[in-house]
Amino acid sequence: MSETRDNPLQAYVRAALALQGYTFDDAEIAEIVMQFSRLEAISRTVFDWPLPNASEPAPVFRP
Amino acid sequence: MIGSTGEIARQIASGTRSAAAVLAECKALIEAKNPGLNCFTAKTFERAEREAAAIDGLYSEGKALPPLAGVPYAVKNLFDVEGMVTLAGAKINAGNAPAAADATVVARMSRAGAILVGALNMEELAYGFLTENHHYGTTRNPHDRTRGAGGSSGGSAAAVGAGMLPITLGSDTSGSIRVPASLCGVFGLKPTYGRLPRSGTYPFVNSFDHVGPFANSVLGLALAYDAMQGPDPADPACAQRAVEPASASLSLPRGIRIGILGGWFHEWADPAARRSVQLAAAALGATEWTELKSAEVARAAAYIITAAEGGALHRPRLIAQYEDFGPSSRSRLVAGGLVPASWVIQAQRVRRHAYREAMELFERFDLLIAAAAPAVAPRVGQETLLINGRSIPTKAGLGVLTQPISCIGLPVCVVPVWPGEGESPAERALPVGVQLIGAPWREAACLAAARTLEQAGIAEVRPPAM
Repeated sequence: MSETRDNPLQAYVRAALALQGYTFDDAEIAEIVMQFSRLEAISRTVFDWPLPNASEPAPVFRP
Repeated sequence: MIGSTGEIARQIASGTRSAAAVLAECKALIEAKNPGLNCFTAKTFERAEREAAAIDGLYSEGKALPPLAGVPYAVKNLFDVEGMVTLAGAKINAGNAPAAADATVVARMSRAGAILVGALNMEELAYGFLTENHHYGTTRNPHDRTRGAGGSSGGSAAAVGAGMLPITLGSDTSGSIRVPASLCGVFGLKPTYGRLPRSGTYPFVNSFDHVGPFANSVLGLALAYDAMQGPDPADPACAQRAVEPASASLSLPRGIRIGILGGWFHEWADPAARRSVQLAAAALGATEWTELKSAEVARAAAYIITAAEGGALHRPRLIAQYEDFGPSSRSRLVAGGLVPASWVIQAQRVRRHAYREAMELFERFDLLIAAAAPAVAPRVGQETLLINGRSIPTKAGLGVLTQPISCIGLPVCVVPVWPGEGESPAERALPVGVQLIGAPWREAACLAAARTLEQAGIAEVRPPAM
């Protein structure tokens, strides 16, 4: 991963961890960044797929 | 090897054997085979003896016996069993209070006369396709102990594959019934999403969690499935449908249209997996190839939703007890909890789109078939799979063919097929399962096709060579 891609991802992970109340050392953060980078890569597949606006989400909720 | 469900039920109904005698045989098999495989995390023999005595009491009084009378079974340790702590494979749960009642499906199995003998090992919190559990050990493959059983319901599949039990229960979020069934050479059923109630089971991903049975015969699979059906308001995702029995008629309708899934499902199947599909297709008379074009993106959507829901579910204890989670789970769960909402919403939209595409396929076909795993069981500790020249991490890659299907909730019966393909004699002796995929609520068609393959000798549970 290039530095230009790595930095925003690292910055996001650090900020999101802090926002959610996690406290980790640098080694643990590096592991979480690596795991999140896999998710970010696969999320591109999801966003690259063309969907019509009428395509609704599919959660389960029955009032 | 323990007998099939049908054999055991017939013996008990005819008085040839008592439920106590069947239980004694089962306990001896467990004591002999489990130490080398590590399937069980707890045994419930006292309860089993009470349940067996009750069945023998019914027989001696001349009363009608329920359909699974005297049939021993065990459950993945994420099902509540009254009086036991529900571990879900995790140390963080070991200090929890014991369950106050059985899970709904466990209670239904008891009412059907089945005898609960224990709880089974699984991947920690059901997150992964191996059962290499940091806290409770690795469950090994009954056909080759240097290899894994798959996961996350590895103990459930291996216990049946080893011949200890005719039926077990597991759960499947992204392939956790189908992958271990494939690797251990047993039958498995992941019903339609919402068919079987999950109340009293430890959750992982509410959007995808299913429960279902493993068995050493199609009849056993169908009888267990029938016993567990029915509405349950305690599970908000349960479809609240009336029981639609499948075990009474396991005949494949004439003129059934079966498509072979190509594209993603062919690309990610190695020669052994392709051979299994070829054998099943030939026996079912299937010749037409088709494609679920959204398979790759459906798998990606499942991956994102799984990470996000799993991470959110466990966040409080990840903050408080990070060191008590296994090293292979904790960083993945935390990372999943950071997934932005926009990714999840887009993934849920993809899910709807993929479902619609699948429904168009079911206008042309009644069943679809594909391999259940990309290859035979990997060695314990193997980091990567090499599939047709492409490398993929084992822990995630084993589910590459199951995730697109559970993402859209379709019912699937996995059948054990023995392709005889591989680079070594050891690999050529291992199974690769085949997914028989139905339209929603068409479990009966999946089971009937499985029965056809069983009768043709294409799908069978083989005794371990060792």
